[in-house]
Amino acid sequence: MQILYLISILGLVVFSILAILIKDLLKAALSLMGASVFLAIIFFFMKAYYAGVFEISVVAGLITVLFVSTIGLIRSDDFKESKMPTIIFPLFFIWFIIIDILILSALVSKFPLPGFKVPEPNTFGEVFWHNRTFDLVGQIGIIFAGVFSVLALFRKRDKNG
Amino acid sequence: MVSLFILIPFVLAAFLPLIEKISKRFLPDLLTNLGILFLLIYTMTYGQQIVALERGIRQLQWFNEQLNITFALDGFSLFMLFAIYLVSFGVTLFSIDYMEHYGNKGIFYALFMIMVGGMSGLVLATDLFTIYVFLEVSAISSYGLVAYGLKHDELEASFKYLMLSAVATAFLLLGIMFIFGINGSLKLGDIADRFASGEYRFVIGICTGFFIFGFGLKAALVPFHSWLPDAHPSAPAPISAMLSGLLIKVSGVYALARVFLNVFGLNPAISTVLMYLGLISILVGAILALGQNDIKRMLAYSSISQVGYIILGFGAGTNLAIMGALFHILNHALAKGLLFLNSGSVEHSTGTRDLDKMGGLGKRMPITAATTVVGSLSVAGVPPLNGFWSKLFIIIGLLQAKAYGFAFAAILASIITLWYYIIIQRRAFFGKLKENWKDVKEVPFWMAVSTIFIALICIIIGIGFPVVISNWIEPATKVLEQGINFAMRWLRL
Amino acid sequence: MVDPVRDWYFNLLISGILIMLGLYCLLSMRNLIKLLIGIEIIAKGVLLALISASYARGSILTGQSLAITFIVIEVSVIAVALALVINLFRHTGSLDVKKLTKLKG
Repeated sequence: MQILYLISILGLVVFSILAILIKDLLKAALSLMGASVFLAIIFFFMKAYYAGVFEISVVAGLITVLFVSTIGLIRSDDFKESKMPTIIFPLFFIWFIIIDILILSALVSKFPLPGFKVPEPNTFGEVFWHNRTFDLVGQIGIIFAGVFSVLALFRKRDKNG
Repeated sequence: MVSLFILIPFVLAAFLPLIEKISKRFLPDLLTNLGILFLLIYTMTYGQQIVALERGIRQLQWFNEQLNITFALDGFSLFMLFAIYLVSFGVTLFSIDYMEHYGNKGIFYALFMIMVGGMSGLVLATDLFTIYVFLEVSAISSYGLVAYGLKHDELEASFKYLMLSAVATAFLLLGIMFIFGINGSLKLGDIADRFASGEYRFVIGICTGFFIFGFGLKAALVPFHSWLPDAHPSAPAPISAMLSGLLIKVSGVYALARVFLNVFGLNPAISTVLMYLGLISILVGAILALGQNDIKRMLAYSSISQVGYIILGFGAGTNLAIMGALFHILNHALAKGLLFLNSGSVEHSTGTRDLDKMGGLGKRMPITAATTVVGSLSVAGVPPLNGFWSKLFIIIGLLQAKAYGFAFAAILASIITLWYYIIIQRRAFFGKLKENWKDVKEVPFWMAVSTIFIALICIIIGIGFPVVISNWIEPATKVLEQGINFAMRWLRL
Repeated sequence: MVDPVRDWYFNLLISGILIMLGLYCLLSMRNLIKLLIGIEIIAKGVLLALISASYARGSILTGQSLAITFIVIEVSVIAVALALVINLFRHTGSLDVKKLTKLKG
């Protein structure tokens, strides 16, 4: 079980790196989708089934469709990204990992993980609808805000403005 | 019912585009203005009753079944709601005429109502994650509103604003995650309870860093202010007024004050950090405003400076300083909103925002010139307008807290503020009338009405400030002064 | 399965790496769509941190609610950002972030 978990984490990090470094936009969006699938697998390992399903259907589904359709709408002249990020990236990456390990090993002693547990209702439905109801109103607001913003940005002008 | 504050904006926003298809003439304008006017009156009457009872929390009932939504309607939230609806009412009156430039007013009003609803939800939330969700609601609608004109400048400004804001809110969520990991519950009362014991000082330190980055970027404190001088000038004038007057204060300053004063508690370390951030914002904003030629950019840098005053007041922590900071939230929202609306009037009549090209407009646009004078003197802090009293309270509060250097810098920056506002007045409105502005007309009816309305309110609050303070600001100060005890006692449900 | 306590720190490590990768992408890439991919990677890091913190606490159901709400927020932000990118493309004809230097900040 541990091996599979480590493979998923490795897949997540490798696909994210590929999404940054690949020059072709379409392949970068597809590798982002691969990273999402690995993240959903990690969620399943941590028994977060609803979050995993939601992650696959929304992030690996909807966002990838949005990216691919946008990339399809845009036919742009290829400008040369500077080669510098790709070359110095491995150095930066090793530097990231070292700094991260140092910070976290300094923090391990100072982060107490308390033993108390907050009691939770038994089913996901109860938590989602009962404990977090105000967030749901917020989610409705977010969906409205997103939809109306996109409509406002793509509107047809009735007069010139 | 307290839920009307959130229901009315969202329901109106849902139906406004359909209503626009039915009657484009006046129905969207009428409904929006009536909605905000109703909420303003509702705040003043019903809200005052609730706050006078000194009970912080309301719980919703829906068909005899307990809906588990709790609202935090205490003195501080009520005061912010009052400020939000007062300034929004002036802005919606203004946009009846101004948004004719841009067309499609139904979608504009819908996004506007979502932004107002998001801000109302933010101030009424009792849970840290709910504050985050409603912060994003108003942020997403503001991205769409800043880019509303679809010209190159506006799109670029909105894109940069979106990038910076997305990074900041991601870090904010990291801070929330640390708190969740230690606590297990995200309600403000529970967090205050757990952190009061003092054994989690390290976690509080890390979370303070993340929150200052996240909320500080929304409030445009100085290391994180670089999105503001691009986003606020490029937006349409009513939206600049809303963003500069309300959004940076509700998303940034209210959330900072709520978290740092009520939940974490104001220990000397946080107090010093906030005071230094406030001081740097005051000085950098004031100095950078001097060299600008674009009138809206100068006003945007001035906003950075004035928000520095508010954070300085909250950081000082004494009674008068907090009272001054709260009063300054209301005053600056009114005055800066008025100034941005007037810059919109100038742009509507002359077509330019460049101060070099303007001159002597006061003769042809007397209403705009007079209200700009009122707004400028209010922000600069000239008696008897409202800005003077709030700045005085902040400075006296700083002297009480023995922060003499800060008080001196605040007074110095006030003089610089007065200087550059006089520059705006002289270059734009007084002086010789240039040739090409000879047949510039005064602004249309609703724009004039809204600016005169806000200017009159500035004058009334300035003269009658004891009434305002005892009714609105005293309860809010009491809430913030009680610090952690308030959260532990009331925000626990 | 996975030992919750020890793995909170390990997952925080990975989450930190993802966030730094995302910031690196934001700072060094010139294509507008790559910048949005950078924001996505930061969001993945935050989601991993959120779910692993809630798993370590044992209250996985609340953590899932928070994660689902955050995914909805992320979708909305990306949708608005893509709409902005398409409109910017119509104006400047290219996806280069160096063309967006008209405003000086």
